[in-house]
Amino acid sequence: MNKNLKRIASVIMTVAMVSTAMIGCGNSTSQASGGAASGKTKLTLWHIQTSTAADAIKASVKRFMEKNPQYEVEVVDQVNDSYKQKLAMAMSSNQTPDVFIQWGGSGLIDYVNSNKIADLTDLMKKDNYKDKFIDAGINQCSYNGKIYAVPVENVSVAGFFYNKDVFEEYGIQEPKTISELEAACDKLKANGVTPFALANATKWTGSMYYMYLATRFGGLNAFADAASGKGKFENPAFEFAGNKIQDWVKKGYFIDGFNGMDDDSGQARQALYKGDAAMDLMGSWFTGTVLGENPDFMSKLGFFQFPALDGSKEDQSLCAGTVGDNLYSISETCKDKEGAFKLIQSLLDDQALQDRKKLGKIIPLKDFKPDDALTQKILDTVNKAKGVQLWYDQYLPAEVAEVHKSTCQEIFGLTKTPQDADKELQSAMDAYKAKNK
Amino acid sequence: MQSQTNSLAKRRAASTRNAAIIFLVPAFLFLIIYIAYPIVYSFNLSCYNWNGFASNKVFVGFNNWKELIGDDVFRKAFLNNVIIMVLSIIVQLPIGIALATFLDFGGKKLNVFKVIWFIPMLMSSVAIGYLFKYALDASSGIVTGISKAFGGHSIDLLGNPKTALLTITVAICWQFIPFYMVYFLAAYSSIPSDLYEAAIIDGAKKSQYFWKIALPLMKPAIKSAIVLSMVGSLKYFDLIYVMTGGGPGTASELMATYMYKNAFLSQRMGYGSAIASGMFILITIISLITIKALNRKED
Repeated sequence: MNKNLKRIASVIMTVAMVSTAMIGCGNSTSQASGGAASGKTKLTLWHIQTSTAADAIKASVKRFMEKNPQYEVEVVDQVNDSYKQKLAMAMSSNQTPDVFIQWGGSGLIDYVNSNKIADLTDLMKKDNYKDKFIDAGINQCSYNGKIYAVPVENVSVAGFFYNKDVFEEYGIQEPKTISELEAACDKLKANGVTPFALANATKWTGSMYYMYLATRFGGLNAFADAASGKGKFENPAFEFAGNKIQDWVKKGYFIDGFNGMDDDSGQARQALYKGDAAMDLMGSWFTGTVLGENPDFMSKLGFFQFPALDGSKEDQSLCAGTVGDNLYSISETCKDKEGAFKLIQSLLDDQALQDRKKLGKIIPLKDFKPDDALTQKILDTVNKAKGVQLWYDQYLPAEVAEVHKSTCQEIFGLTKTPQDADKELQSAMDAYKAKNK
Repeated sequence: MQSQTNSLAKRRAASTRNAAIIFLVPAFLFLIIYIAYPIVYSFNLSCYNWNGFASNKVFVGFNNWKELIGDDVFRKAFLNNVIIMVLSIIVQLPIGIALATFLDFGGKKLNVFKVIWFIPMLMSSVAIGYLFKYALDASSGIVTGISKAFGGHSIDLLGNPKTALLTITVAICWQFIPFYMVYFLAAYSSIPSDLYEAAIIDGAKKSQYFWKIALPLMKPAIKSAIVLSMVGSLKYFDLIYVMTGGGPGTASELMATYMYKNAFLSQRMGYGSAIASGMFILITIISLITIKALNRKED
């Protein structure tokens, strides 16, 4: 009898253990299918905004749910760093969030070819909604003539942010040409100030210098041709960029130990705030970061476009960056695409526009008017530009982009010659092309 | 009479076996789902080109494996792993034993040190990584600060390809020495105290007790510690990922960070799986050889 009791107990224990495992599995599937029991349509939204910008999204979503009580929206704040991997994981298991952000470029092409992203062309054309956005923004959301996203967040172009106090102290004007920039750097160096703050363990930060120098030398075509296979990365434009960077590194223009520093944890910004370094080449989200992190510094913050290359025949107004930054898309598996589209639109309702303007964002709308002079200056730079070079690491296919970032870091570290780096990048591109014919 | 006890024993054995099976099934299921299946699946994936989310995978046979064999970065990553492994074993274990011996001989009055020295083990790897990263920051870190105080230049340890790996190894040792300290403390406590008393009564000095009695008795513990440290070093990931991400360039690349980069950043899930499977094979072979070698010496 006693033995039987024990046996029964052991069976119960086992069932309990196994079933907890089952409950674990059950939960994750029910999350994916949405809480249909409550009678509401559930939508999930993934974004990567932080602090006040994330609050703005939350507020928009709250207004959306009040106006459309049939929806229940789950907002998930993701971290920039691991976002792409998480999204890929969700896509591979068909649990793609209904609304998610992406950056266009090769990522968008991959999502379209894998049939994971919804075609929004008809929804965008309804009531001429797409005409509200500036054309470059819509271009970035499009592939093969179809629109797959809404450029909600920000016009982000890279440019030099600088500490006005430092420039004033040494009587330096905003440089218009690269030779003026170098003269300014030498002057700063002579006075014990490091010209450029850079945290290049992050890699895409150094890529901005490379990208701008190559664009100033070879225009948009040098890169577009190399990426499409019409041209090559072993090209004077990229060699110029690499040589210039190494020249600047040797002259000590960058802060000490930049290749070991991390931009996400603000190691470069610290140097700029303290006045140890004078300039930081960064995307225009920089104003938002400073606003959130060190608002007192805003009054000292200046901006100028990456200077022109003396004597170059190429267009020197070009910007590097993205028009829209985070593009909001809808998953192919979303059950209520119209509802999801309405949700995206709610992120740009009148109240949201006010909220976002306060955060220093430049929303890619044709009639957008910023409140402060700094943002206006960035917007003017974009409006003057004849074209925008999309970030190399978004434009290139992921595996080639990784090679670019790594070789570019080695150019900065003086452990690879520009020629070898370009050769390596070209062979990565060739290998990718050979595989994906 | 004889047959009855026999059958009783048999019944008892059978019921123990049944109970054992029932109790082992859940653990076994977990092992299959979370260990065995992923291993088999990554071997399978290593024969495909796949970006990680597309519904179609392209079968490419052994192409990924051929690429892996000729891959200089993977070879370098493996060598880096071996460097970390050797340094970990020759630094962490002796210091771990030394600290454990100190605590064991010192008795209760040294409990404060036991707690303090154990603290690094309680911190998450990511926190340790950031801690060291800030401490070693070339413009405002501690090392640079000390150097500047003596009129020197700023010192860049993590951004310099020659020093990055060694610097991280120091951080790894800092993190894991407490583990081996506790491990060897446990080994000490398993040595019967009468052995210690007998040795002292026979006139042995403490150093003689350590070299002639304690150390030989801890041999099995040291052997498992070597294997543990070895396997841990070969699949190491977290501090490297946080502190340098394998950079600058590929200076501190490890097999695991290289796998992560390929599978998730370059979106080459197939090649990443080939690296993971290659790691699995390499680590298994090295572990088996080491265990064999260590056991042979005993005979």
